[in-house]
Amino acid sequence: MARTGNKNIQAKLVLLGDMGTGKTSMVLRFTKGQFFDFQESTIGAAFFTQVLSLNEATIKFDIWDTAGQERYHSLAPMYYRGAAAAVVVYDITSMDSFERAKKWVIELQRQGNPNLIMFLVGNKVDLEEKRKVGNEEAEQYAKENGLVFLETSAKTAQNVNELFYEIAKRLTKKVPSRPTGMKLHRRPQETGRRRQLPRFPQLFVRMLVYQIELHCGPSDLKIKAALNEK
Amino acid sequence: MSSSDSSSSSSVDDPNPNPKPLDNQFESLNLEQESESTIIQNDDGEGQQDQESSLNGSLNVNRNNHEQDDRIDGGHVTSVLWRRTNSEVEVDGPSSPSSSGYAGERGSSGASEDDEIHEVANHGVIDGVFDSQAAWLPGKRHVDEDDASISWRKRKKHFFILSHSGKPIYSRYGDEHKLAGFSATLQAIISFVENGYMDELGDRIKLVRAGKHQVVFLVKGPIYLVCISCTEEPYESLRGQLELIYGQMILILTKAVNRCFEKNPKFDMTPLLGGTDVVFSSLIHSFSWNPATFLHAYTCLPLAYGTRQAAGAILQDVADSGVLFAILMCKHKVVSLVGAQKASLHPDDMLLLSNFIMSSESFRTSESFSPICLPRYNPVAFLYAYVHYLDVDTYLMLLTTSSDAFYHLKDCRIRIETVLLKSNVLSEVQRSMLDGGMHVEDLPGDLLPRSGSASHLGQHQQPTDSPGRFREPFVGIGGPAGLWHFIYRSIYLDQYVSSEFSAPINSPRQQKRLYRAYQKLYASMHDKGNGPHKTQFRRDENYVLLCWVTPDFELYTAFDPLADKGLAIKTCNRVCQWVKDVENEIFLLGASPFSW
Repeated sequence: MARTGNKNIQAKLVLLGDMGTGKTSMVLRFTKGQFFDFQESTIGAAFFTQVLSLNEATIKFDIWDTAGQERYHSLAPMYYRGAAAAVVVYDITSMDSFERAKKWVIELQRQGNPNLIMFLVGNKVDLEEKRKVGNEEAEQYAKENGLVFLETSAKTAQNVNELFYEIAKRLTKKVPSRPTGMKLHRRPQETGRRRQLPRFPQLFVRMLVYQIELHCGPSDLKIKAALNEK
Repeated sequence: MSSSDSSSSSSVDDPNPNPKPLDNQFESLNLEQESESTIIQNDDGEGQQDQESSLNGSLNVNRNNHEQDDRIDGGHVTSVLWRRTNSEVEVDGPSSPSSSGYAGERGSSGASEDDEIHEVANHGVIDGVFDSQAAWLPGKRHVDEDDASISWRKRKKHFFILSHSGKPIYSRYGDEHKLAGFSATLQAIISFVENGYMDELGDRIKLVRAGKHQVVFLVKGPIYLVCISCTEEPYESLRGQLELIYGQMILILTKAVNRCFEKNPKFDMTPLLGGTDVVFSSLIHSFSWNPATFLHAYTCLPLAYGTRQAAGAILQDVADSGVLFAILMCKHKVVSLVGAQKASLHPDDMLLLSNFIMSSESFRTSESFSPICLPRYNPVAFLYAYVHYLDVDTYLMLLTTSSDAFYHLKDCRIRIETVLLKSNVLSEVQRSMLDGGMHVEDLPGDLLPRSGSASHLGQHQQPTDSPGRFREPFVGIGGPAGLWHFIYRSIYLDQYVSSEFSAPINSPRQQKRLYRAYQKLYASMHDKGNGPHKTQFRRDENYVLLCWVTPDFELYTAFDPLADKGLAIKTCNRVCQWVKDVENEIFLLGASPFSW
């Protein structure tokens, strides 16, 4: 599970929230330092990784940036299952998105992982003049529900790195005391390899044949026929 | 599938055996020229003569004239049948041969050219942008329009999806919500025919013809699809396009969406499709540039045999580890694809899947894991697609039935990517993109079968980049004997190869026009009423079109309108021979899922 021996932590992080709240923009700001005014809708879920180094530990984030569209809602558990942290995002210029965020919070609370670290994030604070969701209102809601609250702007980068550092810090604090709290995904490399092992020689032969063919044209077909029989 | 004669050690066999030796082909074609072929010279008949208008009175069809064209009267049936002097309604009738069949109609493009002149004269610029593939931008345009806008009414081809209660789901142009009234009208027409008007149960409205406009209906359970078009495409083509649009919707949502309508007939589906406008508009755009949309076949990126096999080998290895389909594509062309045993992938599903992925910018941002449904594979269940772009045009799709296979698929991708890089497949793919496919100018002059050419598509004799080389006495642009373009579709392989466009078919508009002509040819060759035909030779002011259908392949060719018929037939034989000579490079042989 959590491999804290060398203070390397791998943690699954999921972003949830209504469409158009800026989940992808936030992740792109954090992982690539990019921002696009017209970010296209995410399909299904996009996967990112990013490593953060704190004094105490190095955290490798597996970030699931989910699509906000309604049609993907029923599939969300697939992405938040086993997550160590969830970031519920709303758009401060849209009351609807805040209401949607509350529903996500309820769903996450229901799915019953008491150790899940939950963040409530109001994005797009660069659009202060269009604000519909008050800072105090959201903060109050967060407090009542035990969420960490932040307001960010993916556009100006305000608070974005802070958000992920804050998540990282809380994860490192949590790890020693309750290691089961963060269900880290299995080391895919290892399990994957083990299952693949018997096939490797066959692949190797195939590759050899094709390397030969690449250089000499489609010859040596006997080898291949034998391979296919096998 | 049918290519069982290509056994599993398929790389040795020739999976596209042509039973007839070349000389026989040649003779039989010549024979047909005399006896069987449908030869249609340019015929000026407008083909709008039939008056089967049984519903005419009851639907209150106004016989509009041009003065009434621009009258704003949205919401009435007249708005469906606008702008025609001679409105007719055909219900449930197959389109009559004279009006939408191939025979007896004017040259497709010539007629539509007439259309363009007097119909869209005042916004030709907009249409110009539409027609240009290069200038085509993804996404929906004209969202500000509705059925009261004159510009909206003048659009040449509308597509609508609506629910059986008349709620709009998708419209190619305009804001769906503003089109609620129009949608309700379409729904009324459909249910009018379904309930009550006809005596027998199960009657469906298929087509309403109103002058040059066709209104094509497709009913899929609680989902209604409608196309309103004045492009003179055959009914079968438009219906096929509606089928694809429905398939695209199923790919996004699965048929499970029908349950929502069972629970609540007034269910509003638009939120479920949120953000997918680009997917549909890109599919509709592909109707005018991608022959896969009417050929029901896919095309491969030309690659050396060994290169494609190398890609196939690593994909096969992955497929053996529990991946249902592993597909490596470059734009809309297949590099290689492999399916788990007994799983077969329909070309239409590939078209819809690649359209979905290419039109959604999101997939380029990072690796993704998304639910998708392959309508021809299983329309009621989601598969999960791992998608990753290996370079700007090349992307890998790994499909699985397991929703928690992401990390396994990610692993598979890393292995595949490593192998592809090491075996130079990716650089070969990029090189092939630059080199392009078959150019008619390179058509070999001799009829002798040549041994497998070592160079790219046998181009070693001639450099590709000098258009205007003529090796034939025939004077013209393009290839020998005035050959301008061809499409060869292998029936066993479910694959086609299309020659690159060259002079004089340079502009996207001309290309679209040629595809429309092919589409018509395809529809008439597969017409169940008076077909199927074996060959068809057709001359109009734009082209000579020669089509040849055998149990093994279909060949569609376009020549200079002044081309000599005998020479054109000879050239077709040479094209077939050429395709056979390079089939190792242009087709995915053997390892495809179709051969299981």
